[in-house]
Amino acid sequence: MISLQDVSFRYQRDKWLFKHLNLEIKQNLITFIVGPNGGGKTTLGKLMAGILKPQAGTVLVDGLNTKDVALAEIGARIGYLFQEPERQIFAASVRDEIAFALELRGISQEEINTKVDAVLKQFQLEQLANLSPIKLSRGEKQRLAIAAIMVNQPRFFILDEPTTGLDRERKGILSSVIEKLKDEGIGMVIISHDQYFVQRHAQQIITVAGGEIVDVASCST
Amino acid sequence: MWQAAALDPRTKLFLVLIFSSLAVFIKNVYILLLLLFITLLTVKVIGGDITSIFRKLQRLITVFVAIIVIQSIFTAEGQVILQLVKIKLLTDVGLLRGVQTVLRFFIVIAAAAIMTTANPRDIIQGLIQWKIPYELAFMVTIAIRFLPLLQEEAKDTLTALQLRGVNLKKIPLFKRLKTYSYLLMPLLVSVLMKSRDLSVAMEMRAFRAFPHRTSLRELHFCQADYLVMAVGMVLFLLLLMISVKIN
Repeated sequence: MISLQDVSFRYQRDKWLFKHLNLEIKQNLITFIVGPNGGGKTTLGKLMAGILKPQAGTVLVDGLNTKDVALAEIGARIGYLFQEPERQIFAASVRDEIAFALELRGISQEEINTKVDAVLKQFQLEQLANLSPIKLSRGEKQRLAIAAIMVNQPRFFILDEPTTGLDRERKGILSSVIEKLKDEGIGMVIISHDQYFVQRHAQQIITVAGGEIVDVASCST
Repeated sequence: MWQAAALDPRTKLFLVLIFSSLAVFIKNVYILLLLLFITLLTVKVIGGDITSIFRKLQRLITVFVAIIVIQSIFTAEGQVILQLVKIKLLTDVGLLRGVQTVLRFFIVIAAAAIMTTANPRDIIQGLIQWKIPYELAFMVTIAIRFLPLLQEEAKDTLTALQLRGVNLKKIPLFKRLKTYSYLLMPLLVSVLMKSRDLSVAMEMRAFRAFPHRTSLRELHFCQADYLVMAVGMVLFLLLLMISVKIN
């Protein structure tokens, strides 16, 4: 699904974060990226989603080089959840937030309504449907951001710290959604510090520290 | 050893004012070019990043070309260089005025780079010592400090929108305008939330609790500051006189 070939990346001219990185992420696995703060986890996730382009090497998503394709094309394949949910909330109401990207893509109103209702129910957001997203708590915004990605039905997800701000019950809901998606053959890369969450879902764990992949381990869940 | 970067922020502000004012007053293209060269040289000596100025200017190339064309269209005088049916697209006078405007932009952007070498806290202190109310000086600094952050957020928001499968290039114009309104929403929210958090943080640190503020750090002009300001003033008068004489 995602392949990093000899990837080197730097933010500053004289300081490489990643050098000659090689990594394969399979479509049907739940892969966790773990490691200390500032180690390059989020950068790795952004490279995989094509948000950041490597200075050397190639990142392939479904065989497409992220340097050559529009971000929207990658977005149709990969759903990306940012660490800060506020940055990906656009509309004036919870319902519009989930629906607007579908409207812009020219999907019929009937289909949009069906999809939006299903996602609102799945994430227990029905009661909040007409509220402004600004008024939601951080946890609710997080759920809304995930729901808005999910309605696009991408074949792969990259979730950056999805459990931040979620209480135990909401984490449970997110867990069941992840399990359901896994059963549907949808793969995921999850960047997380949540040890319980990692242990519960991880099929593969990549440990990143100091700009290097220090360990790749397979697990049975 | 005298270090240009250590100049008082008020001296730097003075230089910015001189260069920007000259850019507005001067009409002659050659003098404007000379002024641009002096401004860039000053930025270099003070320790500013010249490459970042050129990067900014590179992004504005289409705007500059548009300015030159618009100036030409609306300038009836001069000989026609390029004409489309009956519309004069490019005239020599229009081209000259366009180049003047573009050079003015160059100078103002380059002059502004001088301030990037100053510490924001020192800029506030400098403004306060110029008897500008602390609240106003603080607001100016906050605005300067938050601009790059907002720029980064705007970029992230655009990325997030595209990752929703929305390809802005493929959307019809009317729908695209609506899409831009969606981009404003997270930015506005972010600005409001940041200002709310900042105001709470300021209150918690007893901002405006007492009518008079004292500063631990006070700025003092040194000889180099007086020298730079004197040279700046001489340059200002000299270029202004030459410009008036030529015109």
